[in-house]
Amino acid sequence: MTLSARQPAFSASFAATAEEHLDDVYGYLVYLTRDRSLAEDLTADTFEKALRLWRRFDPTRASSRTWLCQIARTTALDWFRSEERRQRREERAAPPEQVDAVFSDGLSPHIEAALAELSAGEREVIALRVLLDLDGEEAARVLGISPTAVSTRLSRALKKLEEKVIVNV
Amino acid sequence: MSETLFNEIRATKPSAPPELRERVRALAAQEPARAPFLARFEWRRPEWKRLVLLAPATLIVAVIAGSVIGLTRDDAVKGVGEDLVASSGATGTVTPERATPQQSDAQRNALKGLAAPPATADSGAPVPPVPGQLQRYEAELRLRVDDVEALSTATKRAQQIALQHSGSVASLQYDAPAEGVGAAQITLRVPTARVQSAMSQLSQLGTIVGQRYGIEDLQVQADSLQTQIEQTQRQIAQLVARLAATNIPAEDRVVLQSRLNNARQKLAGLREGLRGTTAEARTATIYLTLTTEEIEPAAVGGSRLDDVKDVLAWEAIALLYVVVVAGPFVLLGILVWLALRLRRRQVETRLLEQN
Repeated sequence: MTLSARQPAFSASFAATAEEHLDDVYGYLVYLTRDRSLAEDLTADTFEKALRLWRRFDPTRASSRTWLCQIARTTALDWFRSEERRQRREERAAPPEQVDAVFSDGLSPHIEAALAELSAGEREVIALRVLLDLDGEEAARVLGISPTAVSTRLSRALKKLEEKVIVNV
Repeated sequence: MSETLFNEIRATKPSAPPELRERVRALAAQEPARAPFLARFEWRRPEWKRLVLLAPATLIVAVIAGSVIGLTRDDAVKGVGEDLVASSGATGTVTPERATPQQSDAQRNALKGLAAPPATADSGAPVPPVPGQLQRYEAELRLRVDDVEALSTATKRAQQIALQHSGSVASLQYDAPAEGVGAAQITLRVPTARVQSAMSQLSQLGTIVGQRYGIEDLQVQADSLQTQIEQTQRQIAQLVARLAATNIPAEDRVVLQSRLNNARQKLAGLREGLRGTTAEARTATIYLTLTTEEIEPAAVGGSRLDDVKDVLAWEAIALLYVVVVAGPFVLLGILVWLALRLRRRQVETRLLEQN
């Protein structure tokens, strides 16, 4: 299946694209940040950026979902960076604020706990490949790595997740 | 286990809260108007595809530009260049300043060490001498003939041409071995006034592989000799008049007589020099070389294809120059870009591991 076949025509409006992929972007950011409140803010930021960049969006290079996930990832990384600087500036000794991870309603507590123990890098590959069901190539495009590296990263993350789930159960 | 895990994760996919959905909808409502009509046709191919298309496009433009420049290059400029090949080693020694207004443009070029237009070179007839102007004229013509038999015929014909033009054969060397390259070197003297006709006929004897000629102005030399002759004649007249007087002492008479003899000798020498100069100007020397050797004929006429090749070669040199000069900077830029990319990746990995 070609990219153009599986993605909406370029004439699709931004509003329609946003409506279609809002949950995907939000879900991805929830998994990446472990914080639903933060994910809401970052999702709003992501769509703000996307609106500014909408004219430059090239549907022949990536689907709109992949493109939005790329923006979401950059937005999240920017936030991580600024947060790290802020923490370093304020008080080195103070431990980072612990957030009670709630990925989604209905998720088993032991899976949620296991997900919370994974790193953001591990969670994001699970989010992209499992939650959003992106194929290896699309996930690779979002992460900026090769599809093979995505496969490796995913299998390691799943293995670790399974181990944590077993331990938590 | 994994499948159960997958199913649960997918089934419990987080859903954006209504507030966020409203927020994004409000944002999307600010969507700018469609891009201008022409922007819809904006090139949206991936970068590497652009490069793949750009390379042949650049090549095509370079070839077209080279062809256009080569084909439309000024003929006058080209003519000089070609004839420099054809007449390399021209022995013209008259300075350009000495060229008189009567001289043709072609001759002026020849005097400057350049040569006549291609048409002249093609016909084998060099720059014509200027009538009424004393000039030493020398021409060299190298021709290729097919075989030894043709060499013999051409040699005989060259002698006939010299005689037909009231000239003579000054020297002749003929070498026609049974095998190998045959050659003949003939020095012909023909009246300068008829040299152009002679050269034209000689050039028909074979394929021109080289041609050069030299012109030296002898008019100044002749004028100088004429002035000295007139001065000497006046001196002799004065001496004769003084010797005709009866009241000069015997010793002075001896001295005057001696001076008169010297002046007469000098006058004879000057007259001889003037005759020699005039005779030299009257006769042109043609050095004709005939050979059976396979030599690529000189590009007297030149070809448009060669011009195109020249321009393309210069374009290639310019490109090479740009690559050599810009190459290190481009390489440095790529290395810096790679280093920054690697650094960014490392930071991202660390951030993703920490969170």
